[in-house]
Amino acid sequence: MLTVEICMGTACHLMGNQDLMTAIDSLPHEIRDQIEVKGKTCLKNCGKGPNVKINDLVIAGVTPDQLLDIIQANI
Amino acid sequence: MKNLHAEVSVAQLCKNGEELCGDKVEISHSREQVTVVLSDGLGSGVKANILATLTTKIASSMLGRGISMDDVVDTIARTLPVCRERKIAYATFHILTVTSDGLATVIEFDCPKTLLLRAGRAIPFPTDERIIGGKTVQAGQLALQEGDMVVLVSDGIIHAGIGGLLPLGWGWKEIANHLELEMPTFSNSDKLCQSLLGCCEGYYLGKPGDDSTVVALKLRKPRQLTLMVGPPSDTSRDEAIVLDLISRPGVKVVSGGTTANIVSRVAAKALKVDLTYHDSLIPPIGYIEGIDLVTEGVLTLNAAVERLESPRILKSSNRKDGATLLAKILMDTDHVDILAGGAVNPAHQNPLLPAQMNIKFQVLSRLRNALESLGKIVAIEWV
Repeated sequence: MLTVEICMGTACHLMGNQDLMTAIDSLPHEIRDQIEVKGKTCLKNCGKGPNVKINDLVIAGVTPDQLLDIIQANI
Repeated sequence: MKNLHAEVSVAQLCKNGEELCGDKVEISHSREQVTVVLSDGLGSGVKANILATLTTKIASSMLGRGISMDDVVDTIARTLPVCRERKIAYATFHILTVTSDGLATVIEFDCPKTLLLRAGRAIPFPTDERIIGGKTVQAGQLALQEGDMVVLVSDGIIHAGIGGLLPLGWGWKEIANHLELEMPTFSNSDKLCQSLLGCCEGYYLGKPGDDSTVVALKLRKPRQLTLMVGPPSDTSRDEAIVLDLISRPGVKVVSGGTTANIVSRVAAKALKVDLTYHDSLIPPIGYIEGIDLVTEGVLTLNAAVERLESPRILKSSNRKDGATLLAKILMDTDHVDILAGGAVNPAHQNPLLPAQMNIKFQVLSRLRNALESLGKIVAIEWV
């Protein structure tokens, strides 16, 4: 199971974290079932959102396509 | 109010065919006392409304500035124009003040007797006749107890159904009987108002023959809420502020992601973000054991203020987003203490983000105004 932590803070919300959620939910079932999505209140990188944390690594300014690539590479 | 809180509700019907109500109610709250002024302008429509508004404004502004009841009554009595033909003042008035220790003062001028609901009985509020400024008024004082209710009605309620369903109208005594019968259902003052006004409208067969107003005041323990917004300006004070929050009585709310992280760290309680409810405009809420509501900061607060500015829509809303939950929890509170953190999140200064979110001070001022207009007592402490 891959844990994807998405920052739900104000700045990340405004910078498009909802698009990241939508992208993950649009994944085929067999991949989506291998991912656990968790919300975080702040990943302390507000100026460069939206921020995502995967395998203890905070990734800044992620686009939905980049996130899907990172997920594919980690599964 | 320190010890007890006076919860006040109002319900009104306009005379059939009128758009403006000729009865006017002015309510003002402070920590020391609540003041209610009800005035019934002679006649109906615009003229009655203007006269009643003039009367309530004079009374509540003067009382709000600490001027004695005698001077207020004297001023109104001397200011109110008297109808040349009918030889009566254009507007009646009814004043009720209740201090934080429960001392109620009532002044009645040409209006129906005040009702006092205590221990299952509805009785007249005790008053004596006095002459102030050449006018005969009824004045009385009584120490209220927790759970007591005081009800003010305009003559439209007393005369409900007159000449129709009820030949002589509903009448004060029957209204008192109705209140005694229905008392177990009056869990709050609004329920009483709705019950009385519903019957009144029924007796008028949906076409009120006069402007009708009910004001109900219930004395009860205040409901406290403490809202922590934003991290303290000095990080070394994080622990002290969070411990202060936790030790306060009543409901506790935390707004802001970083603030929630601080509370979670100091309280040593896990913070969990709830992703089960999705709203594209309002970021999700979170949970910390011991905190009643955890929300995102400035976007949620802005939206909560908007919801509080439309209380009717809020009441019937089933939405579960952070702003609606916050607005509802604030609606159910009497005293709101805000611990406003002075720290500034540099990322929020980003010119690409909406302008309103940069200014925490502005959001909190709007929140304070919205809450105060709903009769809440608000204190903002910058930390």
